[in-house]
Order: sequence, then structure tokens, then C-alpha cells
Amino acid sequence: METIINCSNIGFSYNGTSVLDGINLNVKTGVMLGILGANGAGKSTLLKILCGLLKPKTGESLFYNSSIYKMDRREIARGIAYIPQDPMFAFPFTVEEVVLMGRAPYTGRYEFESEADQEIAQKALETVGIFHLRNRLISEISAGERQLASIARGLVQEPRIMILDEPATYLDVKHRTEIMNILKSLRDERGISIIAATHDIFSSLFYFDEITILKDGKILAEGKADKVITAELLSLAYGIDVTVKKENGRVFVFPNQ
Amino acid sequence: MNSNRKFLVSISALFILWMITAAIAIFSGSYSISPVDAFSNLNDLTETIFFKIRIPRVIMATVAGGTLAMAGAALQALFRNPLASPFTLGISGGASLGALLAIRSGLAIGILGFSMVSISAFVFSILTMLFVYSISKVGGVVATGRLLLAGVVANFLYAAVVMFIQFFSTFTESLQTMRWIMGSLDIVGFDTVWKSLIFVVPGCVILLSLTKDMNLFGLGDDVASSLGVNVRRMEKKIYFATSLGAGAVIAVTGPIGFVGLIIPHILRMILGMDNRIILPSSFLLGATFLTAADTISRTIIAPVEIPVGIITASIGGVFFLWLLIKTKKEIIV
Repeated sequence: METIINCSNIGFSYNGTSVLDGINLNVKTGVMLGILGANGAGKSTLLKILCGLLKPKTGESLFYNSSIYKMDRREIARGIAYIPQDPMFAFPFTVEEVVLMGRAPYTGRYEFESEADQEIAQKALETVGIFHLRNRLISEISAGERQLASIARGLVQEPRIMILDEPATYLDVKHRTEIMNILKSLRDERGISIIAATHDIFSSLFYFDEITILKDGKILAEGKADKVITAELLSLAYGIDVTVKKENGRVFVFPNQ
Repeated sequence: MNSNRKFLVSISALFILWMITAAIAIFSGSYSISPVDAFSNLNDLTETIFFKIRIPRVIMATVAGGTLAMAGAALQALFRNPLASPFTLGISGGASLGALLAIRSGLAIGILGFSMVSISAFVFSILTMLFVYSISKVGGVVATGRLLLAGVVANFLYAAVVMFIQFFSTFTESLQTMRWIMGSLDIVGFDTVWKSLIFVVPGCVILLSLTKDMNLFGLGDDVASSLGVNVRRMEKKIYFATSLGAGAVIAVTGPIGFVGLIIPHILRMILGMDNRIILPSSFLLGATFLTAADTISRTIIAPVEIPVGIITASIGGVFFLWLLIKTKKEIIV
């Protein structure tokens, strides 16, 4: 399998406090990688570095063997879609307009989106199941539907990889499942690689091929999901004693206190 | 309707509206010139009024109204806030003081005369903008309360300096300044128009080249970057271009308020949020609005001309109140 993202010895600090240290990561085509870790473990920072939004203090992040910091932003945008945890919508654009913005890396400065672009957007809206909301304002729909719109926006970028920062954290169980299923089907049907930071340990075995656990800016454990999700590692990662039970690809985690 | 068609329809409609308004404007005034006279029997007096006063004035109103409205739309995108405008951010106040300082210190005289006034207005605009932006940004996000307060404070500070200068002026100088601060399009000949266009055209061209980036910027810094926008560069270009355009306009007309606030607002209600449509439309509707307001100011109690700033501020003030009442239930943050 081809390597899409390969980063080595990534280090980063905010105002002198180390946030990431010595991170190595290798993501191949069609892999769904989950990043677990306590709040403040460095997940969001790492994702931004992988997207080329932040420049690390040390190390190098490669996207298809070229240094992401030397690549043109529009070129990166055609390969990597980034979906933040809590996307901002400063102006009430319609859902369709928001999704069409994902075509920006393909259209010129003075251009409007073509018929072809609009078709791509319609398909993306259908894929995530919110085609019926296309003419609604982004400010009127629910948080879950907004997250689906963000994913559709990422999809029309026609990326090789989608990087999502806790895509489902604020959502109810139905939307959370819906979003994870969509991501899984994108991986299965289109071979899009997925990296997602998540707090949802419970469904992690079911969706993720590989898991990396971060603790205090360092990699605590990485590997096949089944190997990494253990009581010992999770207790270490979250700083609380837990019991882990696995059943039919589902994980149950209970705090021991 | 797709964006492309919406753009063509709205731009054509607004252009026709502007043409009609401009046509009415050049044929109305305290001295009546009918269209027939204008084309067949112009005497010396009517020719002077028509070509040296009416037409330059309508063009100046077009340039000023268009630029202020487009600058307002761009600032609203930059601050991600519908209440931003050259007036509310204190940029108008800064530009006025800059222009006044240049005029009073004798920089207006000389070959570069007028340009120095514009440059001074531009410098004060951009400094004000940087001041207000840095004060209002908390943790990477512009806080509306701080934004508006910073603008108000900047306006008061500049007003204090203007009053100080006024206090030590002669009666004539003081009256001139007073008239100018009320906002007026009282110009003679095309000279002033050309000199302001040197600044306004590049300013507007830069803003129009950024409309797509402005849309993406509304999705947050990170998402905009991830979609290919160089966010920091875009921000700098908007500072520069709005200061250049608004500064040059205000140096001529004085601080004409509310155009930059009302016009983009009305257009967003009708045409939606797309800045690729909103910015050029704002130019056309702003141009139409100020041309109409100026025509009213010239004719309402003719032969006396009242400063156009009084007209725009009273229409704008009422509009702004209506907006506040209407949006009472929505939270403007």
C-alpha cells in the first residue's frame, strides 16, 4: 500500500511549553486511523501539522514524499480535506454554498463554480444524506447536520485523505453513528484514508484499522486497534483506572472508581 | 438560480438603476437644464454648470458611494461581523483627521497637493484599522463588543483632536472644516475625481480579487487555509485596499457615514452571502444611493445645498435602528 502521509520526529511547542515531541506517523492508502488521548494530549495540534496548517518546530511531514510546507496551499487542498472540531460559519450561507466552497482549490479567483462542480456538490450532499437541506441556511440546521455539511464540503475537494478533529464529539448517538458510518463507507468505497481524533473509545474497534494513543505530546501506543485498546494503556492514557471489555467488535470501558 | 446567473442578473439590474439615478441627478438642481438643452443649445453658463459641476459631482458621488459601500462589505468579511464599516470602526474619523492635518499643515499646496491629503488620510485609516483590529481580537476571534467600543473610542479621540484644531482656527477655516466634516460632494471640475481615482481604482481592484477568499474566510482561519487561502496575506490586502479607497474618498468628501453599513446589509438580505456577488453589487448600489442622496441634498431646499452627510446619516440612523429592533431576537455576535 502506498504511503500518503509520513511524518518523522515532529515536535511543537506553544509559548515554550512542549505540546508534541518526537512523533512519527505513517498513514497508508485506505486506512482509517484513530487518534486517542486525553484533552490536551496534542491531538488537534498534530492534526493541524499533518494538514500543513501549523509548521512544527522540529521534524518533517511528507505528503506523497514531498514536504508539505513547501507545497502550494491549493495543491494541498486538492489532496487533504480538513474538518475541524467546531467549524465556524460566520455568515449564513446556504448548505449548498458551503459545500460548493470545497471546490475552491479547483476554481479560479474570479470564477463561479461550473455545472460540473455543482454536480459534484450534489453527489456529496446525497452521499452524506443531506441533499434535502441544500437550500437551508447553515445557521438554521442542527449541529449534527452542520457536521455532515462540513464532511460534504471536504468530500467535494476530492481528497486522498480526510483529517477530522473529533467529528462526532458534540453529537447525539444517532448522528455520531451516522458520521462514523459515512467515513467508513468513504474508506471502503473510494479508498479515501481517514485520520480522526476521537474520544469515542466504544466504537473505535469497530471503525478504526489502526489507533495511535497520545499522552502529553508523545506517542504512548500505536498499532492495530485490537492490540492498542487495553485496560493498561487506556488507564495510562487518561490517567484513570479502567476496565475494558470487548464483545463483537465493540468495546466497553468502565472507570474502576 | 445558480451563482453565475444571480451575479449577472443582479449586476445588470443595479447598473441600470445607477444609470437612471445618475441621469436624473445631472438634470436636476437649482438651475434647470433640460435634456434637450444639454444636447442642442448649451450657452456658456449652462455648459459650465453641466460639465464642470453636475457631471463631475455625479461621478464623485458614484466613486465615493461605491467605494465606501464596497469597503464596508470587505470589512464585514474581514471582521466576520455585519456591523463593521469604515464609519463604525473609526476609520472615517481617522481618515478625516489625517486629511485635516495635511490640509492645515499646508501639505495640500504644491504639485502633489491633493495626493498628500489622500496619503495622510490613508495612513490614519490603516493605523486606526490595525488599532481597532488588535484591540477587538480576543483569542483569535473578533469580539463584537470590543470591536464597536474600540471604533467608538477611536472616533471620540479623533474628534477631540479635530475640535482642538478647530479651537485654534480662524472663523473661515473653522467653517470650512465644519462643512467638510458634515460630508459634502461639492467639487468643481474633474481634477478631484481623477486624483481620487488614483487611489480608489487599485483599492477596489484588490478587494474584488479577494471575494472568493473572503467567502472561505467565513469558515474560520484553519478551514480557509486548508482550502488554499493565504489568510494572513488576505487580511493585509484588505487592510491596505480598504484604507486606500476609503481614505482617498474621505479626503475629498469628508466622513460620509452609514453607506458602508447599510448597503451591504440590504444586499445580503436580498442576494445572500456570496461576496463575489455582494462586493460588486455593493459598489453599484452604494454609488446609486449616494448619487440619490446628493441629488436630494441639492434640491430639497434649493437653492440652499445641505451637506449630503446629513441626508445619509439620517437615512442610515433610522435604518440602523430598524435593524436593531428587527434583530432583537437574534443575537448579533
